Parts: sequence; C-alpha cells; structure tokens
Amino acid sequence: MIRQVSIFIENHEGRLNNVLKILADNKINIRSLNIADATDFGIVRLILQETEKGIEVLKENDIITTVTPVLAAEISDDPGGLSTLVDALTQAKINIVYAYSFLPKKTDNAIIIIRVDDDVQQKAIDTLEKVVEINLLDRETLLLK
Amino acid sequence: MYWNKSYECMPREKLQELQLERLKRMVNRIYHDVPFYRNKFQEKGLLPEDVKSLEDLQNLPFTTKVDLRDNYPYGLFTVPLEQIVRIHASSGTTGKPTVVGYTRNDISMWSELMARCLVAAGAGPHSVIQNAYGYGLFTGGLGVHYGAERLGASIIPISGGNTAKQIMIMQDFGSTVLTCTPSYAIYLAEVLAESGIDPASLKIRAGIFGAEPWSENIRKDIEKKLKIKAYDIYGLSEIMGPGVAIECECQDGLHVWEDHFIPEIIDPVTLKVLPYGEQGELVITTITKEGIPILRYRTRDITTIKAEPCACGRTHLRISRLQGRTDDMLIIRGVNVFPTQIESVLLEIGEVEPHYQLVVRRDGSLDTLEIKVELSEALFSDRISNLENLEKRIRDRIQSTIGVNAKVALVEPKSLPRSEGKSQRVVDLRKI
Repeated sequence: MIRQVSIFIENHEGRLNNVLKILADNKINIRSLNIADATDFGIVRLILQETEKGIEVLKENDIITTVTPVLAAEISDDPGGLSTLVDALTQAKINIVYAYSFLPKKTDNAIIIIRVDDDVQQKAIDTLEKVVEINLLDRETLLLK
Repeated sequence: MYWNKSYECMPREKLQELQLERLKRMVNRIYHDVPFYRNKFQEKGLLPEDVKSLEDLQNLPFTTKVDLRDNYPYGLFTVPLEQIVRIHASSGTTGKPTVVGYTRNDISMWSELMARCLVAAGAGPHSVIQNAYGYGLFTGGLGVHYGAERLGASIIPISGGNTAKQIMIMQDFGSTVLTCTPSYAIYLAEVLAESGIDPASLKIRAGIFGAEPWSENIRKDIEKKLKIKAYDIYGLSEIMGPGVAIECECQDGLHVWEDHFIPEIIDPVTLKVLPYGEQGELVITTITKEGIPILRYRTRDITTIKAEPCACGRTHLRISRLQGRTDDMLIIRGVNVFPTQIESVLLEIGEVEPHYQLVVRRDGSLDTLEIKVELSEALFSDRISNLENLEKRIRDRIQSTIGVNAKVALVEPKSLPRSEGKSQRVVDLRKI
C-alpha cells in the first residue's frame, strides 16, 4: 500500500504553484503528480519521496492535506498490459475510483497508481496478486523504481 | 386621481389630530395586552397617559426584528388567534422567520391602502393587473392581490417566475399594469427584446415595482425598455406588507399613508429623531393595526422624509427612494437574506468552518448569490464527488430554509478575509 498525499486547492491561477513551491523550498521531491478538477476546486494527488515531511510542511502552510492509500501495480509496457489489470478488477466487481501513471526511471515496465474504495482494498490486492499475478509494489520498491 | 380623497388629501392639521387620537388608542392597547410592551414602558418609567402629543412618540421604546424573533411566533399578537385571519412571515436574522398576523380589519385596511397605491400609479377598475410578485408567506403577492380586488381591477395572480408564460399572458390577456420586483421587470424587458416582441404592441402602461432597492437609472431603463411608467412601492411585512408608501404621478418620493402609519427618521447611532430632510433610519409606528401593532419599528432602511407639499395634492409625507440599509441584510431577487442565516445553515451542516463570504453579483439583470465557504481538514475528501456533494448539501439547505438559490464554492482555509465586523462577510458587486 502506498501513501498518497491528496491536497485541496482552489481552481485558479497560482494555487498549484503555491503547493509546488512549498515542496520545492523544503527540498521534497515529487515522484508523481495527478490533478483532478471540479468547477471551483481541484484535488492534487502526489506521491512524494518524503511523505511525512511533505505533509508537515504543507500543513504548516495551511494547506488542506490528507493521506490516501493507493495501490501501485507494475505491469508490462505492452499493448494489453493495463487491460489485464482493469479486466481482473471488473471481474471481481471492484470499482476503480481513479488511476494514473507513475513514471519510473529505472525500469521499462509501466507503473499504474490505482485508488479503489476503502472497503475493497484487500480484495483488490488479492485479486491482482493471486488471480492475475500482477506485481504490487510497496513504498520502498516504488520509490526505487 | 385618488382612491380615497378625503383621507389622502386631508389637511395636515386634521391628519395630525387623527394620528394622535389613533396613537393614544394604540399605545393603550399594547400596554395592556402585550407584556413585552408593558415591560418596555415600565423600564422607561412610562405610562400610556404620557403620550399627550405626537412629539411624545419620540420618548417611547423602539421595536426591532430581534424583538419579533424573541417573541416568536405569536408573542407580540394583541388578539387571540381566533381573531387572526391570515399569517405571513418574512426572513428572520437566523433560522426562524418573523411572523405577523392580520385580523379581518387589518386585511381590509391593507386592501384599502393597496388600492390607494394602485390608483396613485394610474390604475383603475378597468385595469388588468398582472401580479408577478410571489404568492405565499411573502406579503408581496397577496398584498397586491387584495388591493386590486378592492379597487375592482382584474387581477391575474400569476405569481413570480415562468417568464415565457408571463409574456404569453401579457400578450393574450391584455395586461395593463405589471407588479413585480424591478430586477424581474428588467429581465422581462430583455426577454421581450430577444423574442422580437415590441413592447409598444402590448397594452401594458404602468409598472409598480418594489421589494428591493433600485435607482433612478433603473427606472429610466425600465421605462424605456418596456415603454411604461414605473412606480416605486415600499412596504415590509412587520408593518403590513406592500403599500406602506407609494409614488404618485410626480414620481418624486413615496407618500406614506399617515392615517395608518407614523414615520420618523432617526440617527441609527444616537437613536435621536432627526428633522425632516435629514437622512437616517426610517422608523414606523402602526396606529391602526389590530393583529400585531408595532411601536417605532426600526426598519433599518435609510431614507429621508420630504415634508414639502406634493403637486399631486396628497398631503401625506413622502420618503425618498431608499438609500441603503443600516444592517447587513441583502435583498436577492426580492428575498431578504441575512448573513447570519447563512451562518446558521453552515453551523447546522456542522462539517465546514463557519468562515464564509457572500458575493452578490448582477449577471445581466438577475442577482446571483455565491457563498464561499472555507473547507476544513475533517471534511476534505480525496474524491471530487464527495466534495461536490458537500457543496450540494449546503446549497439545498439554503434553498429550503432561506428560499434563495445560491452557488456554493469551497475555498482554501484562511483564504477569506478575517474581520472584526460582519461587513467583510458580504461583497456586493451590484451596481444599483
């Protein structure tokens, strides 16, 4: 299970940069970034090299943050790689809340970050690892990729 | 043209005699029948007999919206409910509305005064009055309705909204008088223009507009776009409803029906009565109302009293167009909104910080209310849909309790200005 940092920002100019600048000033590396936007606000989802320190400096700056558990799945970077994963979750009737790519530096494989509902997390892990033998990464492994 | 010439043009001396006689009777009734007033008199060491002249009124205690709320719902009624034939309510400053009750005589008096208003604005028994004020707890709809029936005009109780239908009825029924809020009148004019309907092809000749502040510029705009004469009407449910004051054909101030109401202007800080001509807060005493007579009600509306005789022949004092409010009440599409009401809703929802800001805009001709609310960490969810549901919950709650459609926007913590006063809670961007 990976600890993703989710951040609330208003949907107008300068707000995202405000968050990025706080992290940069504190020398916290962002390994992955995803933004979801609604009309007036957005949610920034980050995987940080140093999660705890990142949360601490963001909170010090009155930024609303929460930690969300997500799965990191390593799949082959070939046609059909992602489809196998989604298909397995669909068969198990597990809804994907959202998903996005993590850009690895040291492997040719693709890494997908997946968020499923809290109550089906274990089921999702079991399905992916046991049924389709997809490699789920823990935090240390992910950050080394 | 007058509806009731002997009263509307009564010589001032005679009018003041009548006022004094009615004021004495009113003070006697509230002192004996309403503990709230008796206590207030006793606190000041006053007796009803101390009212010997109209000038003595300025020694009597004020009544405020808070007093009405504290005595919610029926505490200030002077008659038992069996004598009350109608109950109306308007926005309170918090969750509970301000409640007023009318006896049969009150409804009759209101109808009479509203008939006077309609005639002052040029209406008569042959008029077809399209009443686009809302019918319901709001006094606008039924107030105009009963006045029109008293006058013998044909009233179309279409109520507010449904613009396409308003226009169809205006065309097909041959409406000659339109009654609604000034902002709705402008909106109707714009829709007519978009639909390619020439207002000159309609029979509409006059409009009676009120329930929200408007300016001379808006009047000119409405008169030009709808090709009508536009009259300002004033009223508030605590005193009666629409028809407390009306413009005559001179369109230079609104006559207050002084045989039923005594207007005063006070300095809202010192609470001293100001001479005629000076700007201050309008205070009104009802001198004939039976259900809920009100002594020196602080309207919070800012205006001046014009004492000069009016060319129309009516002898009743005029108030000038309203200049603003002494509190932070907003009027949005005819609905009174207090920031404190919004605060109550947020506290009820309980999951957001009660740090909010109200932004009022005029988009085209319609007012919009945006409520910015600071999100709290406890409420934050990683899922967009959860946050959108939260916005919707707040919006629905405001719609159902206050009756106004608002846009709710969640904002970052500490992003809204913190202030000691309430004033920064409201940003009014309307140019009225």
